[in-house]
Amino acid sequence: MLSLRFSLRELRGGLRGFRLFVACLGLGVAVIAGIGTLSASIVTGLERDGRSLLGGDVEFRLIHRGTTAQEQTFLQSRGSVSETVQMRAMAHALRSDERTLVELKAVDAAYPLYGKIDLEQPGDLADLLAAKDGGLPGAAVDPQALIRLNAQPGDRLGIGEAEFEIRAVIAREPDRATDGLTLGPRVMIAADALQATQLVQPGTLAYWHYRVKLRPGLTAAQMQDIAQKDFAASGWRIRDWKEGSPGIRRFLDRAGLFLVLVGLTALLIGGVGVANAVHAHLDGKTPTIATLKSLGATTGLIFRVYLWQTLLLAAFGIGIGLVAGAALPNLAAGALAEVLPLPLVPGFYWQPLALAAAYGLLVALAFTIWPLARAAEIRPAALYRDLVAPGKRLPRPAYVITTLLLFAALAALAIFGAEERRFAGAFVFAAIVAFVLFRLIAIGIARTARHIRPRNVRLKLAFASLHRPGAATSALLLSLGVSLTLLVAIALVESNLHAQVEERLPDEAPAFFFVDIQPAQMDDFRSTVLGSAGARDLETVPNMRGRIASVKGVPAEQIEVSPDQRWVLQGDRGLTYARDLPAGSTLLAGQWWPRDYDGPPLISIEDRAAKGLGVTVGDKLVVNVLGRDIEAEVASIRQLDWSSFGINFVLVFSPGLLERAPHTFLATVKAGPAAELALFRAVTQKFPNISVVRMKDVLTELNTIVLKLGAAVRGAAAITLIAGLIVLAGALAAEHRRRLKEGAILKALGATRRDVILAHVIEYGSVGLVGAVMAFGLGWAAAWAMVTLMMNATFYFAPGVAAATALGGVAATLLLGLAGAWQALAAKPAPLLRTA
Amino acid sequence: MASSSATPSAVEREPIIRLNDVQLTLASTAGPVNILRGIDLSVRPGERIGIVGPSGSGKSTLLAVLAGLERVSSGKVHVAGADLNGLSEDRLALWRRNRVGIVFQSFHLIPTMTALENVTVPLELAGAADAVARARAALAQVGLAKRETHYPAQLSGGEQQRVALARAVAPRPALLLADEPTGNLDGSTGHAIIDLMFGEAARLNSTLILITHDENLAGLCDRVVRIEDGKVKSIESRPDNKAPQQAAD
Repeated sequence: MLSLRFSLRELRGGLRGFRLFVACLGLGVAVIAGIGTLSASIVTGLERDGRSLLGGDVEFRLIHRGTTAQEQTFLQSRGSVSETVQMRAMAHALRSDERTLVELKAVDAAYPLYGKIDLEQPGDLADLLAAKDGGLPGAAVDPQALIRLNAQPGDRLGIGEAEFEIRAVIAREPDRATDGLTLGPRVMIAADALQATQLVQPGTLAYWHYRVKLRPGLTAAQMQDIAQKDFAASGWRIRDWKEGSPGIRRFLDRAGLFLVLVGLTALLIGGVGVANAVHAHLDGKTPTIATLKSLGATTGLIFRVYLWQTLLLAAFGIGIGLVAGAALPNLAAGALAEVLPLPLVPGFYWQPLALAAAYGLLVALAFTIWPLARAAEIRPAALYRDLVAPGKRLPRPAYVITTLLLFAALAALAIFGAEERRFAGAFVFAAIVAFVLFRLIAIGIARTARHIRPRNVRLKLAFASLHRPGAATSALLLSLGVSLTLLVAIALVESNLHAQVEERLPDEAPAFFFVDIQPAQMDDFRSTVLGSAGARDLETVPNMRGRIASVKGVPAEQIEVSPDQRWVLQGDRGLTYARDLPAGSTLLAGQWWPRDYDGPPLISIEDRAAKGLGVTVGDKLVVNVLGRDIEAEVASIRQLDWSSFGINFVLVFSPGLLERAPHTFLATVKAGPAAELALFRAVTQKFPNISVVRMKDVLTELNTIVLKLGAAVRGAAAITLIAGLIVLAGALAAEHRRRLKEGAILKALGATRRDVILAHVIEYGSVGLVGAVMAFGLGWAAAWAMVTLMMNATFYFAPGVAAATALGGVAATLLLGLAGAWQALAAKPAPLLRTA
Repeated sequence: MASSSATPSAVEREPIIRLNDVQLTLASTAGPVNILRGIDLSVRPGERIGIVGPSGSGKSTLLAVLAGLERVSSGKVHVAGADLNGLSEDRLALWRRNRVGIVFQSFHLIPTMTALENVTVPLELAGAADAVARARAALAQVGLAKRETHYPAQLSGGEQQRVALARAVAPRPALLLADEPTGNLDGSTGHAIIDLMFGEAARLNSTLILITHDENLAGLCDRVVRIEDGKVKSIESRPDNKAPQQAAD
């Protein structure tokens, strides 16, 4: 192929100008490939360990109750069954007299059906947990429990009304990753010892998990089908091993998507560098192109020659990115396994690599077709005359359309390749807005600079540099601006998350949540709490669990719900009944029932859930509470302030019917830091069955998560800044020779170093400042959209954080730009002028 | 691969170059610049024309017009059987492949290609199956058989211009255009190049258009066209001029 042959000959000139081209592509592709490989190795791990993560082939979960005899028979007829009961409880170390909230898990002898539990002590779990020779039953605990309770193996542990001996420390629990948010360390006891704790009372928030190891010939899907058909009223949540960790999957999807989009941003910013590199390279090739044309080469041939070159170099850059992206997660697998509580299967995953390569190729082509077409249309007369009649026209329509199609393909790949298309779509939209805006502003700066004719020579120099042909203004603004916008947005979202958790809530938030207070304990509990010095604002709310069985006569499983409200229908939700409109609620529609109402059940539903389910005042809902269907009419719709950390319920029933159903109470109380300990001790000593959640512990836990996520996200976003800096370095390098010569001429004409430096400060400072201001505004808008539209939270603007991030960018620009100027100043003018 | 194959009788009837009232104006930031202002010229196949004139008179632009590298603003341009005004950019490129060889003052060799590859380019573009063999022969013809694998940067100015000449004549063009081919060379090297060029033009029966400042060089041609300020000032015929051909022979 003639074009390929010419292209290869041309490449002999070296890759000097293409180092940045390769770096820009390689970096973005490496990020996307790396994230994809990591994600794939986790997904493979989840699939490989799916059964042990779930604890069985299929899991059935019930709240408040164990299986009925019929249900039990059904499960046992399908395979071997393991029963565990999980709940929150207070543990009391008798020797140290310390108490803490724990995640209690009562397991039977069959546990675990799949995988194995690692204990620090030798011995079989069932043996260790069993009561021996009429003595105490055993408990296996998380190391964290020992720390919090100041206890050690051999110590006695009070849970509810029973005592246990700490016999083992849990090193690894096979099904722990599927538990979701935990508020305390694990304490494991034998199922038959649970009874003695007397923790399981009517209405207690306890979960019964039944894991089934299916008999041969029966698939998890078949089992689910039968269970849903024959036991539709059981209200159990069924999961099979393939979807054993939907939460983790969802998190992986979202985090993976976010990081891939960050990688794509790096790649897009790199695309600017790619276009610049190709442009600069082809600028130097004008004589060659004109010569080839004078020898009879057509425009199409020239285009193909340099397209081949671009493709070969792109393949090289993409190849480097793929190797790095595929290797890094594997090399770091050991370290990652320590950080991530997830199974990781290192290996070669071609799908994420193919996706990364596709992104890389599309970006390379989308950003180079334009300069390639322009170069191919260089007229051979350029050999004679370049500057008299500069031809600045659009490339032929075919090239323009191809470029647009490539960008459309890039957007389509980003959107349709993602699970969360709305988020990906929003990203694509934001990226287009940012790129177009920064490009327009760059044009605006150049035009403005052209019309400003200052008297001051330094200003004149600076403004001339901003608008002369081939100025780096556009590349500089685009690369710096887009990466800074992303950083500002991320910094603002992160500061918002912190603000939600830290800055706003402690004043309003209660000190403790109390869970599982039995109705009979209420009076005593109330006087104990209010009798403790410093405790105030005690709020108690009845609590039970129920699930929506049908809406307006349509069974729950057949209802079309908007995705963000789907959770309302998923399994059991907390419900309550109330005489008065709960604090923090605002009535939007309908009427609140009278205090002494005792008629047919009425219901008040939260506004967004009502919209999601499509119900309004007067509609009928059927809610299954403790196995019984209760039909209620929607009497009102309320708006809730979810962030108040008070006790909020989507569904609130009228008093009457539910008052007579078995239930427990939840309570919150406020207390100053000094009063907390006494209050904690008073309640936990007197009521061993009541679980106490300390708000500060929850906040610390949440903050730790935010901090860890924030660090990961900032780390990823920093990659875009690196991409931006590579582009910047490329743009400056392309200008380097001109600057050297310009500096030499200025010095020869009598300019001082200060004059030249100041001209540079003004040039880079003005571009940097405009970039920072834009990034400040756009980042703010993006963060606002993410916080309010995607997280449904109130947005807090932290101008300090945004300004610091944006101005940091200006500093980076100035430093880089001035580093170039410094060299220009250090150079002796004479040799440069001789070669001029 | 076409070459100048017209018979002498046909040649007498059909000029290879016919320019009628050719004007060329270029836009510049300082306003329009009139570079050619009504050029009329007719050249027979096999003729050798010297074009002389002061700097900025429009000589090089005229050559670019003849090569189809520059479009005229008005007037007729018929060169080597084609009306150049009617051809698109790519048609012009295809037309050049077969009919025109150009030697530039600054050689314009492609720096990333060897001497042989530089000469091969126009033959490859024209799809010649024996491109390399013919390029090798052309290089040998200009005395550079041993420098085939050298890159332009490894050759002297004179050698580079000989490569450029070999590249121009390798496709056996009907029209050989030379723009100050000795302008960047010293006297003796320049003479050697001129001898070679006239010799090759005679061997291939190509029409030669030579742009030069040098009256002596122009004097070697059959006719000398004087250009001033974008117009033909005079055309002098020197029918008895045989010296270069003899030198080439």
